[in-house]
Amino acid sequence: MEEYAILAGDFSAIGEASTKFKATLKMLGIPSDLVRRASVIAYEAEMNALIHGGGGVLRMTVYDDRLEIVARDEGPGIPDVSLAMQEGYSTATDEIRELGFGAGMGLPNIDRNADSLLIETEIDKGTTLLATVIFPSP
Amino acid sequence: MSGGIKIRESRCRGCANCIKSCPTEALRVIDGLVRILPDLCIDCGECIRSCKDKAITVNDDEWDLIKTREGLILMADPTFYVQVGAYSRPRLMKEALEHHGLRDLSEWASLAFDLAAFASARLIRDAGDNLPYISTYCPAVIRLIQINHPELVGRILPVESPLETAVSIWREETGAEESVTLVSPCPAKATLVRNPVGREQSSLEYVVSVRKVIRDLLACNVKVTGTKTKAISRRWLLWSISGGESRHISSFFDKGFTSISVSGLRNTQDLLNELELGRLSGVDFIECRACDLGCIGGTGTYESRFLSQLRLDNIEAEWMPSGEEMEQIRSWYDKDIWRLTAPVTAKERLPLSKDIKEAMAKLREMDAIYAELPHIDCGACGRPSCRALAEDIVRGQGEVTDCVFKLRERITNLSGEIKNLSSKLPHTLHPGRKRR
Repeated sequence: MEEYAILAGDFSAIGEASTKFKATLKMLGIPSDLVRRASVIAYEAEMNALIHGGGGVLRMTVYDDRLEIVARDEGPGIPDVSLAMQEGYSTATDEIRELGFGAGMGLPNIDRNADSLLIETEIDKGTTLLATVIFPSP
Repeated sequence: MSGGIKIRESRCRGCANCIKSCPTEALRVIDGLVRILPDLCIDCGECIRSCKDKAITVNDDEWDLIKTREGLILMADPTFYVQVGAYSRPRLMKEALEHHGLRDLSEWASLAFDLAAFASARLIRDAGDNLPYISTYCPAVIRLIQINHPELVGRILPVESPLETAVSIWREETGAEESVTLVSPCPAKATLVRNPVGREQSSLEYVVSVRKVIRDLLACNVKVTGTKTKAISRRWLLWSISGGESRHISSFFDKGFTSISVSGLRNTQDLLNELELGRLSGVDFIECRACDLGCIGGTGTYESRFLSQLRLDNIEAEWMPSGEEMEQIRSWYDKDIWRLTAPVTAKERLPLSKDIKEAMAKLREMDAIYAELPHIDCGACGRPSCRALAEDIVRGQGEVTDCVFKLRERITNLSGEIKNLSSKLPHTLHPGRKRR
């Protein structure tokens, strides 16, 4: 199966990874609504990794029938995944909330835009997230 | 490109200064001349600003020819009325124009801008969940959305430019059939005439830049009294500065109205990105202008944008239309004359290939080419960046040796090989054997 991988390691500017992914997907001719969904996933994953995980690595792989976004951080891990998936739930600090982030919409937003979402997390080790967007068959 | 920009080939030195200024990487230098990629150009005019040889200009019509016509009618952009201190009221400008045998349509413009603000307020009020709406006023922003943000075209307010509506109202009301010339502050608004978006055909026939008309007026230095013409409202002039349109719309809201107004392309691009990522909930309206400070920063204006801003700051606009004005606004609103007649559609750039597998192969090829390039984005190949060259190559619009560094590398390799080959001798000429 054909694949194309793009890595956005050590991102520092907000939205850097999603902008990079977006440009790539456009050149591949992915329909614009899927591009938007992938951008939102990448953006929220990026924010999560920055806010909670202290940075991380984001990788997008495009196959001919789907794309996968993997976000990996070495942060504190998520104690209760089902709680974290609830809208409005957040453990973000007040400082981060003052910046307009940490509204508890990150994971729910990823879930809404992905066709499937897998989260592997271990306390004090880190979190790995795999989101898949499936392309409609032509 | 929708025809807002013109290249004067005799002046272009192929210096490649402009190609880096372009926000959409739509410029290339080919065979010593700058060229525009029409699919990517948004007519913003950044290249006009960057060209030291004045080889890139607003694509307007020949003013020296147009102005010789009898009874010429001008539809002037609001910026036109804040360019000269002595004529900085529509009535004073009208008088100055009359001295030259010119007529403007400022009284109709005043009504059309009120109407556009009123209609926008109605649409925003009734939008439900589809907010924020995006202003339709700056054609460069509309093009940018069509090309780079296809997901946002549905948020563009379906209200046509009041510069168009003013002419339509004037024609309907008076039955006039004369052609109208738009006085434009920028290349983007020139596209209203050249290549309208959201309507079949423009109500305007010609376009000339604000600068050219103002220059002529100043050359004659006509003294105006302000007693010969009727007073015309001035709130619509504030559309020429960032935030003015939102202010006008908000005057038709009795309850809260939340808007964000930005100017300059960098701010516009950042804001549109945030909107696309769903970060702007709770915002009703987004007003973006491609030029710094708004239309007064356009490349076709005459006056310093700072002095124009000063004049606009001094306008104490009466935001509430009079009862009589309100009656007119409502009656034209009901006639739907303000509405875009065609939807604004996305105009995305073609992917590397229609087949995703092939596109992935080309993308890998592009990455491989890019990896070999020097990554200093010098522009000598005529492309704005090494990445753009790599893309042009896989699209079949360039070759690796367009890069001077790669060319040098090839020559070095070739000369090494020539040296190598020239040291080889045929067996019959072997130096170890003496020839008799």
